[in-house]
Amino acid sequence: MWIEESKRSLTAPFLGILALAAVLGLMFNLLSPRGIPWQPEELTNPLWREMPLAEARQLQGGEVLFVDAREPELYREGRIQRAVNLYPREYELLVRLLRPQLEKAPRVVVYGNDYGYQPAAYVAQRLIREGFREVYVLGTSFENWRKAGYPVAQPRRGGKS
Amino acid sequence: MSPLLNLLSLGCRLFLAGLFLYAAHDKVLNPQSFAWDVARYQVLPVVLVNPASVLLAWLEITIGGLLLLGALTRAAAAWAGLLLAMFIGLMVYAGFTGAAFDCGCFPGQEGHTAGFSAALRDLWFLLPALWVLRVPGTWLRLDNLFWGED
Repeated sequence: MWIEESKRSLTAPFLGILALAAVLGLMFNLLSPRGIPWQPEELTNPLWREMPLAEARQLQGGEVLFVDAREPELYREGRIQRAVNLYPREYELLVRLLRPQLEKAPRVVVYGNDYGYQPAAYVAQRLIREGFREVYVLGTSFENWRKAGYPVAQPRRGGKS
Repeated sequence: MSPLLNLLSLGCRLFLAGLFLYAAHDKVLNPQSFAWDVARYQVLPVVLVNPASVLLAWLEITIGGLLLLGALTRAAAAWAGLLLAMFIGLMVYAGFTGAAFDCGCFPGQEGHTAGFSAALRDLWFLLPALWVLRVPGTWLRLDNLFWGED
């Protein structure tokens, strides 16, 4: 009884709150300099190219620098051998630290999760915008690299890798 | 309504308002960072991540503001309960998938790992939301000016 009564009296204000939040969010996102695009530019207008798994494996060991775009917690749990960690949230800081390695590498292959090329596509796009030319996104995820039996670095007992 | 019940309702409402405003302000001011938080769970198609994260941040801040003012109180409490129930489900999912990352619930990146403990915390937060939904109280509510006591 109380639930039925509540449903009737709450429906309009409930939907009103949703509409108010949507309008405020839309306005703020359009007007704020920190607003974000509705669709990620790195996916709608990609500047990067994809590198197939087998090709990346062939190049491993000197001709390519692997960049792990996942969060540091996941990077610490396991990564492609000799990969460096450059993830979106700390991009500005990390790219400065990694610049010498990035500039020296003939090719850079960025990888991430098996989730619509993210967050690898974001990192690759920004690297290209900063002038790095040979930047690719691995055509699959780290998990698939591992499943293929290719070399990975994992923590030893005690937590260090 | 007894003063004790009114006091309890006011306390629950202000607690929820503070919780939602605290959780949302950083998401509103740093939408890109929050979108990455949302993306990490990998439960939404990539094309929906940015719009959903903007809507969610603004929904949280709207709910917090309305609860603080005591405007549309019961509807705001219903939204708070719904969002908290959704977060509980998400945290349980994160727990089962072994997610080891920050849950993105509150500002700062330490001490809020996604998983079962975060689900338990949100379950506690759900209690005041359900209370305010059932007993919104009559003290310090803008609703009283427009619609009288309910």
